[in-house]
Amino acid sequence: MTVGSNVKGSYFTVKSAEAGLEQLAIKTSSEEAKKAFYDAQYLLSNVREDLKKQVQFLAREEAQYK
Amino acid sequence: MPDWLNIFLRSVALFFLLFFLIKLLGKKHLSQLSLFDYINGVVLGGIVAIVVAHQDVNFWHGVIALSVWFIFPFTIDYIALKSKKVRNFVHGKSTVIIQDGKIMEDNLKKESVSTDDLLEQLREKNIFRVADVEFALLEPTGKINVLPKTENQPLTAKALNIKLAPEKEPQTVIMDGKMQLEPLANLNLNPAWLETELAKLNVTIENVFLAQADNDGQLTVDLYDDKLSIPSPTEKPLLLATLKKTQADLELYALETENEHSKQLYKTNAKRLGEAIHLVEPYLK
Repeated sequence: MTVGSNVKGSYFTVKSAEAGLEQLAIKTSSEEAKKAFYDAQYLLSNVREDLKKQVQFLAREEAQYK
Repeated sequence: MPDWLNIFLRSVALFFLLFFLIKLLGKKHLSQLSLFDYINGVVLGGIVAIVVAHQDVNFWHGVIALSVWFIFPFTIDYIALKSKKVRNFVHGKSTVIIQDGKIMEDNLKKESVSTDDLLEQLREKNIFRVADVEFALLEPTGKINVLPKTENQPLTAKALNIKLAPEKEPQTVIMDGKMQLEPLANLNLNPAWLETELAKLNVTIENVFLAQADNDGQLTVDLYDDKLSIPSPTEKPLLLATLKKTQADLELYALETENEHSKQLYKTNAKRLGEAIHLVEPYLK
């Protein structure tokens, strides 16, 4: 596995975790939990954006593995 | 009217009358009754017994006696509810038995509690050393309630500075194989949700003896068929594990890469994930 594919994997994991958090935020009826889930989801969306850029950057770096 | 019919009618009438009077007197448990409450109950029962068994007693006289013995305590209770002074007089006040770790001998004597009584009641609260007690009260019911010294109190999450998610009461959404609509509505969930969750577990509703859902929509079930094993909800622990793993992965990438810009990017994002984990960890446990 190349670094590029590893990071790509992490990117999708973060994406799925973000969706999971949103699901929990919608389902829960406690306001406090809802807020915590949404805050965490926001943090994860930042992580996802960064990783996306990194995935693109690595794809250019590791062009030979395409 | 034959005697038996007379007794029968009196019994039926007084049964219902007594039943409603006792209901109106409130929800106190037998052990919470003051001595007077208790005597009052016995008198009510006695009046009923006499009116039912003695036919020479006028039925309406019995009803008058019953209503007096009902209305008086009822009114006194009502006034006591409104006024603290009356309450102290009627229901009594609690007495301090131990203060600042010191036994108040005068109060013990005044309430005629012997040293043995005190020790026995403390032992009932699992306290064998009087020195462990900071404060103790003798309640009007005769029970002793104890505040142990701080170091002898059970350890709580607050003392350990641990943040815990507030837990709401779970709702029982299936009883005896039947869907309960009201508890479902309390959680803002609908029957379709329940069917989906059951389908995920691969069970039919007829086979479910009891199912409870908590306010995060996690369903736990108990089946009639105890041989079938049912997975416990994994959604939340799984999500937490995923977050932790990803954070560790990012830290690993940061160590592996030699590109300064990438290193920085992995580090900040690992930190963000750490913050996110810290935020939701109490709720995902």
